[in-house]
Amino acid sequence: MLEAHPYDAYVRGEKNLNGKNIQKITANLKDKKEFRFAFISDTQRWYDETEAMVADINKRGDIDFVIHGGDLSDFGATHEFILQRDIMLKFKMPWVALLGNHDCLGTGEDVFARVWGNPNYCFQAGNVLFICLNTNCMEYDYSEPVPDFSFLETLLKNLPESVEKTIVAMHVPPFDLEFNNNVANVFQLYLKEFPNLQFCMNGHAHHYKINEFFNDGILYYQTPCAKDRGYILFTINEEGYKHELIEY
Amino acid sequence: MLIGIVVCFFCLQGYATSIDETNRYKKRVEGYRSMWESLMPTYTKLQYAGGMGLINSGFGWSYGKNNQWETDILFGIIPKYSSDNAKMTFTLKQNYIPWRKKLNDSFTFEPLECGLYFNTVFSDEFWTKEPDRYPKGYYNFSTRVRTHAFIGQRLRFNIPDKKRLFARSITAFYEISSCDLYIVSAFTNHLNPDDYLRLSFGLKFDIF
Repeated sequence: MLEAHPYDAYVRGEKNLNGKNIQKITANLKDKKEFRFAFISDTQRWYDETEAMVADINKRGDIDFVIHGGDLSDFGATHEFILQRDIMLKFKMPWVALLGNHDCLGTGEDVFARVWGNPNYCFQAGNVLFICLNTNCMEYDYSEPVPDFSFLETLLKNLPESVEKTIVAMHVPPFDLEFNNNVANVFQLYLKEFPNLQFCMNGHAHHYKINEFFNDGILYYQTPCAKDRGYILFTINEEGYKHELIEY
Repeated sequence: MLIGIVVCFFCLQGYATSIDETNRYKKRVEGYRSMWESLMPTYTKLQYAGGMGLINSGFGWSYGKNNQWETDILFGIIPKYSSDNAKMTFTLKQNYIPWRKKLNDSFTFEPLECGLYFNTVFSDEFWTKEPDRYPKGYYNFSTRVRTHAFIGQRLRFNIPDKKRLFARSITAFYEISSCDLYIVSAFTNHLNPDDYLRLSFGLKFDIF
């Protein structure tokens, strides 16, 4: 109960969660070509709903890992992140989180970096490469490259041979106000350079929707916010993938 | 000759006015001094935590019929922790102390202290109004300015006349507070009280 400031960025307890969980995901799914993951997003300040979601995902027993699409906090206040982290530490499976635009407010990005890690990262689950990108361009006002193409280039040059498919996750989708729309087409061209791009997924808009922004067959799956009590379940197999909207 | 008389006349008149002016000047200086004296802070305060900074210090004024009102001006420090740098804060705090109960010659108990404080952070990472790059009302709140409400209790120790060094009394207090951001979250969720209530401790030194 003793707190220096709501934005003090004082973090107690678990840190570097993405790094730790990525190791678990990669180890658990090594050489697998079939697995299932949940894509959740925008849980900010809906703590009761987030708890219910964690319980629902745990209860299913068939989910290998969870990806959170960002907006863990509403105001970027430190304790918001801690509350969300502590709820999601109850996941029985590994989970990773992306940086949302609300997470950038105040010292939010510093807290995110400490608790979860870099806003741009990737990991391998079975034969699939997952790329998680910071697309909250408006928050940075050109002070940092968002989306970071040099991150994508470096990744492209150092792809492990075991990668057969690619899935891209981001908080803000192309053509949203928050996205750097001057490079929306270039962004899509870069993503398609990756082996066998399956689909993209995003949060931010708070409701379930499937968009084909570039008329190129690449779908963007938009997952609901916690308030709508929903998430998307993806099943990856050798034929391709299946998706299902789950409401709890 | 005529010029000489005129000059003398003006000199004498000037002398008479200057006596008058000196008195007026003295009165004005007195008035000026007493005005600034009335603005002299009556106490200094140290406060720990409470969401305004880790350590906060400043001064303030007691006023009202029974000194039931207090206004504090506090400066605080937020350590760096996981952020890029340590930050300075400024707090304007209004306290209301409706009752005092004298326990004995040395101690006075103040069963209720309550009020509001407004806190601001000196840092580029925060804004009062959304920067122009956002559409109007995109986030609709200020990351820089926080409003806190609090209640607390205090115990005053009256220093005996002979032992006074720099204060006539010392008041120890604790406060339970919450801020705007936490209150809106508490209303819409089933949170534990320690998720939205904050504890703080402090000392007040009454100079006169």
